[in-house]
Order: sequence, then structure tokens, then C-alpha cells
Amino acid sequence: MNWLVTQLRKPEWSPYVAGAGLGFVTILALLLSNGSTLIGGSGAYENLVAPVGLALDPKNTYFNFVMPPGITWAVWMLAGVFLGGLVSALLSGTFKWRKMPDQQWESVFGKSVAKRWLIVFGSAVLLEYAAGIAGGCTSGLAISGGVALAPASFIFMAGMFASGIVTARVLYRKKY
Amino acid sequence: MTDLARIIAPVLIGFLFGFLLHKGGMTRYHKIVNVFRFTDLAVLKFMMSALVVGMIGIYLLADLGVVPNIPITPTYVVGNLIGGLMFGVGMAAAGVCAAPVAAGSGEGRLDYIIPGVFGMFAGALLFGLTYNQVYPAISKIANAGPIILPEMIDANHWLVIGLFTVITIVLFYALERAIRMRADKTKA
Repeated sequence: MNWLVTQLRKPEWSPYVAGAGLGFVTILALLLSNGSTLIGGSGAYENLVAPVGLALDPKNTYFNFVMPPGITWAVWMLAGVFLGGLVSALLSGTFKWRKMPDQQWESVFGKSVAKRWLIVFGSAVLLEYAAGIAGGCTSGLAISGGVALAPASFIFMAGMFASGIVTARVLYRKKY
Repeated sequence: MTDLARIIAPVLIGFLFGFLLHKGGMTRYHKIVNVFRFTDLAVLKFMMSALVVGMIGIYLLADLGVVPNIPITPTYVVGNLIGGLMFGVGMAAAGVCAAPVAAGSGEGRLDYIIPGVFGMFAGALLFGLTYNQVYPAISKIANAGPIILPEMIDANHWLVIGLFTVITIVLFYALERAIRMRADKTKA
């Protein structure tokens, strides 16, 4: 029991252990959804923004038929993700309101909050749009597709790592 | 399924998912970006461990008949690849990802809660509004539908899972060894 409490209070686990845990979560998701879904992140944002999309374009195909408005399974799951992050942070004492990453960012890109927030915003737009084109994000496609042995997952991951490596190289050059 | 289960089940799954994202370090900028710089491979270790454990469990449940089927994400080579290429740029530039934005928001990160979440909404909106112009054309090219690797190479799925598991274990064993040796050398 004490051991368990110690583990839950740790700010960080071995990525192997946390990752294996996520593998069990995909199994649990398959069980609880009776074989209909695994895990995902990007879909929930689409359901949530659908009312805005329909207000702008009432006949829109995507928000009428593919990702209609609603508090869907994906939305509840994303709410759970938020809560899980919150509880883990509270237990480990790392919860803190902060505007900037804890380390590394400032030594490379400077102290400007506006710059950080603009890059996060632009990247988030790109990520979510990309997830739409690819058919999912790191969780909904790379993990969920991968555990199901879908080639889509491995093609996506190859693209993601290739462009990520190039982007990091361009942004960092010889810094840090 | 009862209405309550329709809420409790996904919240529970999401809760564990978010908890593990935080414990795995996936809500931190430097952890995400450093996998692309080969200075910290936590993201890769996290993902590969999840894949190995998940694929064994999922196919076990299906083979035992506990679940009626496995959801297969469709393969359409060009779309999966272009999406992945765009995704990697955003992931490396900001060190964020769709689900970690939510988990990191729970940790009090205002850069995730404000520009992160609103950026996700803006991206989702943009995708939905341009869907007809973009998606059908891209997803039509090299579309194989919901196929899986074992079908493609006409092999038993346990062969593929076994191979994937062995390759992953060997890869990480070699990686950890190389990292330890490099650390020893710098110490000496």
C-alpha cells in the first residue's frame, strides 16, 4: 500500500512503465466499448467545435454527417484525460499555473510569452488539421491503429518522425 | 449500454490515459521535442511499450471471443503520410499533441489551456470547413480501407505481433546499452 502511494506521488515514471500502462488502457477501452473503439484525442475537439462550424456553414458535410455536435464518447474521454493529468499533477505536487514550459524553451527561443503562445496556437491548428487528414493523431491513429496492426499507423508515425526531426533540426541549429 | 456507462467508461479510460501521459512526461515541451533531437527517447519508449502491450492484449481478447471485433483505422497511404508529415512539424515546434494538451492543461499549463485548446478548435473548424475540397481527393489515393499488416503479407497475426515484440525489445536493449556506454565514456 505504501509502495503504491509512493509510486502515485512520483512526478515521473519510467516511460516503459507508463507506456505499458497505456497499452493496458487500450485493452480496457476495447473491453468497455465492446470492440467499437480504442483511444483518441483529436476527435473530441471536432465534436466540440461542430456547432460553430454549422453556424458558419449550415450545410457542411463534415459537421453534419462525419463529426456532428454532441457530448460524444470522445468528448467524455478527453474530459477524463484532463482530470487524469490534474490528479496526477496534484498527487505529485507538480500542479502549478504557468505560462511557459519548465525548461529548455527559454534558452532557445527566449522569454517572450507572446512568441511561445503564438507558436503553440499555430502548431495546434496544424496538428488538428493534420489529424483530420491522416485519420487521427498520436493516440487515435499511431497508438490505436498500431495496436490493431493497421499500416496507416506506421505510415503516419514514419511521416511524423521524419518531419519532426527536420523541424527540430531547423529550429535548434546549434543552439542548446 | 446504460447511459451512465456511456459516460463513466470513457471518463475512466480518459482518466487513466491522462494520468499516464503525465507520469510518462508527455505533457512537457522538452520531452516531446527531444525525441526528435535524439537526446531523450521517452516518447518513443512510451509509444512502443504501449503498442507491444496493447497489440498482445487486443488480439488476445478478439481471439478468445471476448470482444466481437477490433476497430481498424483505414489506410490511405498519401493521406496518412501527409497528415503525419504536417503533424510532426507542429509536434516538434510546440512540443504538444492532441491528448497531451488536455492532460497538460490539468497540470496548470496556461500555454496549453489558452492557445493550445483554442488552436485545436481552430484547426478542427478549418478542417471541417475545407473537408469537401481536401479529404475525398486525398483519401481516394492508394486507399486500402481497414486492412491490417497480417492480411497484407498473408501471415498469422501472432507472427506479426511476435516479430514486432522481439524487434522492440532488441531495439531498446541496444539503445539502453549504447546510452550507458556513452555515459561511461564521458565519466572516464
